[in-house]
Parts: sequence; structure tokens; C-alpha cells
Amino acid sequence: MTPGRLATLSLLICAVTIATYSLLLGVPAVRNHPEGYVAAFAIAATVAGLGVALRRRWYGWLTLGVAVLLLTLGAYTNFVMARIPDAPMVLRLGEPAPDFTLTDAAGRPTSLADYRGKKPVLLVFYRGYW
Amino acid sequence: MAVSPDENAQSQRLADGLHLGYRFVADPDLAVTRRYGLIHARGGPRGGDVPRPATVLLDRDGIVRWVSLSRNYQVRPDPRDVVRAVRAL
Repeated sequence: MTPGRLATLSLLICAVTIATYSLLLGVPAVRNHPEGYVAAFAIAATVAGLGVALRRRWYGWLTLGVAVLLLTLGAYTNFVMARIPDAPMVLRLGEPAPDFTLTDAAGRPTSLADYRGKKPVLLVFYRGYW
Repeated sequence: MAVSPDENAQSQRLADGLHLGYRFVADPDLAVTRRYGLIHARGGPRGGDVPRPATVLLDRDGIVRWVSLSRNYQVRPDPRDVVRAVRAL
């Protein structure tokens, strides 16, 4: 494969990775494997590196720079920024959940106790947008 | 029920935009989130605490039956696993 084709392939892998991750974020298999985008950028960087090794052209270096930058940003995001440190587990399976009263959008106080003996409750803790 | 640190108005906009049928309640000072042990310490803007994404299933008697905790804030439980846990009640 020529250095030009390797550079194109590397850029294509980067573009497809970004598009896949941003467009298919709602698909659990994509969203729950963020290490996938890091691996894809690593492949793109390897392909671009091969191109530079074959012939040192400016576009080869540029492509390698793009792929390495994306790989660095992706790895930092996934392995450092997005990591949640372990915290002591408060909830215990088989034990009652702590009761609470919070206000909903209509201003109505909502208690967990309101549901007790009536129906199961699925509590989803949102990270929020702050 | 969704517990969010955001103001109710903001959660309502999210719920309306995504056509979510469940109730949002606001926990702006994270008191409930903290009591449940679901804090991502210094994970927010300017080093503030934020909730860690978590899903907790309680049965009819308010007993904790299933918990999904993420160690990476990009990851959420697969809806199929949630449905399976609800069906297993």
C-alpha cells in the first residue's frame, strides 16, 4: 500500500470512529465500550505510522499527528477523566433503601414511602448537566 | 423515578425533549445522592461533587433488589439488563 493510501485509511478510521461514537451513542453496545474508540485511534495511529515509515511525506506526518492527538485525547478521557473512584457501598441488596422526600417538576413533594407496599420503584441517579 | 442534581425546570426540559414518561425529582444539594453513597467526589466542574450514574431497583416493599454502578461515567446499564432485573422481581 502506498503512503498516500495509508494516510487516507488512517484519516478514514478516525472519521468513522468519531461518527460512530457520536451518532450511535444511544446504542448500549457502542456507548458501554468507550475503550473501542481508544483502540480505533490506536489502529489509525499505527496505520499512519506505517505510512511515515515507508516514506517521510508531509501528509504522512500530518496524519500521524492527527491520529496520535486523537489517541491521546481519547485515552485521557476514557482512562483518566471518566474514571469514577471506588466509594464505600452504602446500599445493600436485600435491605431497605433509605427513604427520602424530594420535589418533582410540578412542585409536588415525592416520597419513596408513597410507593411502599404498592409498586416496585426504579431509581435512576442522573449525573446532571449542572 | 429519576433523581437529578439539576433544577426541576432543566430536568423537565430534558424529559419533554426525550419524551420520558417517568418522574424527575431534584436533589440539588445531593443530600439524597450522598445518603445513597452515589457521589463521584470532585468529579464535577471546579472540583465539585456530582452524582455517579447509578440505577437502583427496589421491590414493592422498598427493599434493594438490583444495583447498577458505573466505574466510568460514559457507561450506563444496558436497558435489557434493567428489564431482566425488573422481570425477576
